[in-house]
Amino acid sequence: MVSLAPWGPAARLEELPLLKRGAEAEIRLGEFMGLQAVYKARVRKPYMHPRLAERLVRLRTRREARVIAAARAAGVSAPALLAVFPSLGLIVMEYVEGPLLKDVIDRRGLGAGGLVEEAGYNLGLLHRAGVVHGDPTTSNYIVRGGGVVLIDYGLAEFSSSVEDRAVDLHLFRRAVESTHAPLAGELYSLYTRGYLRAVGEWGGEVLRRAEEIRLRGRYVRERRRSVWGVG
Amino acid sequence: MPPKRDGEVLVLGIESTAHTFGVGIVSTRPPIVRADVRRRWTPREGGILPREVAEFFSLHAGEAVAEALGEAGVSIADVDAVAVALGPGMGPALRVGATVARALSAKYGKPLVPVNHAVAHVEAARFTTGLRDPVALYVAGGNTTVVSFVAGRYRTFGETLDIALGNLLDTFAREAGIAPPYVAGGLHAVDRCAEGGGFVEGIPYVVKGQDVSFSGILTAALRLLKRGARLSDVCYTLREVAFSSVVEVTERCLAHTGKRQATLTGGVAANRVLNEKMSLMAGLHGAVYRPVDVRLSGDNGVMIALTGLAAYLHGVIIDPGEAYIRQRWRIDEVDIPWYPWLPGDPPPG
Repeated sequence: MVSLAPWGPAARLEELPLLKRGAEAEIRLGEFMGLQAVYKARVRKPYMHPRLAERLVRLRTRREARVIAAARAAGVSAPALLAVFPSLGLIVMEYVEGPLLKDVIDRRGLGAGGLVEEAGYNLGLLHRAGVVHGDPTTSNYIVRGGGVVLIDYGLAEFSSSVEDRAVDLHLFRRAVESTHAPLAGELYSLYTRGYLRAVGEWGGEVLRRAEEIRLRGRYVRERRRSVWGVG
Repeated sequence: MPPKRDGEVLVLGIESTAHTFGVGIVSTRPPIVRADVRRRWTPREGGILPREVAEFFSLHAGEAVAEALGEAGVSIADVDAVAVALGPGMGPALRVGATVARALSAKYGKPLVPVNHAVAHVEAARFTTGLRDPVALYVAGGNTTVVSFVAGRYRTFGETLDIALGNLLDTFAREAGIAPPYVAGGLHAVDRCAEGGGFVEGIPYVVKGQDVSFSGILTAALRLLKRGARLSDVCYTLREVAFSSVVEVTERCLAHTGKRQATLTGGVAANRVLNEKMSLMAGLHGAVYRPVDVRLSGDNGVMIALTGLAAYLHGVIIDPGEAYIRQRWRIDEVDIPWYPWLPGDPPPG
């Protein structure tokens, strides 16, 4: 691993404390120019030809960085991008400190309703920017300073299709159904209320499609819920 | 073969969804597989022609059933139920199997068991590997799907957005002039020609969300050839890119479901390179990996009979008058009340 000495106290990435190891990436905690920072290093898939694995790491690292930049520009509450090293598969970003929205809902129930609406609002802003998240569960929102931060863009893509947008809503609904079952209906309606506030007139179509996807019963693009979505 | 004993249940299964008319007979007592008869339609050139296939099936259906009964050493009177693959598949081909099964059921008064062809491939893997609750990658000429059992059914976690993996390999081989025959000596034409090849740039890797797409790979590979790239390099890279993408989707499903078992099934399941990738991937997640028994990887009547046996023992039967074929019968539309039952387990009830 290349030395990151100019930017942080740790000479080597693997010396940084590991927050999470997943199939897609390893997340470490470090410093970047005096700020607490998250180092997200994508994993090269050992079952692929090295050149293919390398190509994917670069491509996906670049894409994730672009998505985060587009999200921030559109006003989404997302972690600040600090540095990108496509050849290392490494993204350095702001460390967002706070409890997961999931845990806040567990503690406060519908008392966290305002935050859920805020979460939906942020997804709406992201969609308006032409980006779908791919894993918008209550574990991928961090509560900070009375609002929420939408994290983990590892599976995000540039897309303005109704289907892709509806899948995001569907994933949120499935997440609250499995983790906050008794409140699922209310939480989803708060989320969509915030969402509609952000997107305006085409929101209705996305909501209807999300309902269709639910009826189709397909586990489309559903993934393990985790802080970083790298499971 | 031993004569039928008291309490033993025999099921005859009929497969006719694509190129193979298969008749299998299975039993609840060992040896479980009593007969495996296949009549395979092969094109002299080009791909599958549904009407020709149906004609071929009609010509061979009767003798295939008779041969299977002979192989099992039983008469139709000994058979307890007739299972049939009602879909998904090609209409004209499916109709032959459905007609034969309905006729056997009506004439001899045998219960009729509807079987979904995709479910049967996954069950063939479960039954022959002993893996009770796996994530399954099902790859064949007409199918590419990652499924796993959740809440009563096999759920689709990812699939191809366009052509199937087997179709990609076959179409490329045909267009590149290296097939038919598509498979010789157990190796696909693309595998044979990939030997000595290396990785080249120019073929896109497409995983969209949980889904894969192969049509772009096919177009790009043919374009590379036209521009003078070495055939062996193109074959190698096409295979590398396509296999890697399905294994990655399987990996995501494993990570998502948290399951500890993985399997591979369908006509492409015998492929050595794909097996190596699956095995490596499963190892990364501490999962056990075993592919379907190679004898049941391609389309066959035994897997229909096995799935039919499981279904029949758990009360799944259908009125012959309602046994319509379903060309687009999705795997996630089928209830699996016998899950995670395996042959060898005590019978239900």
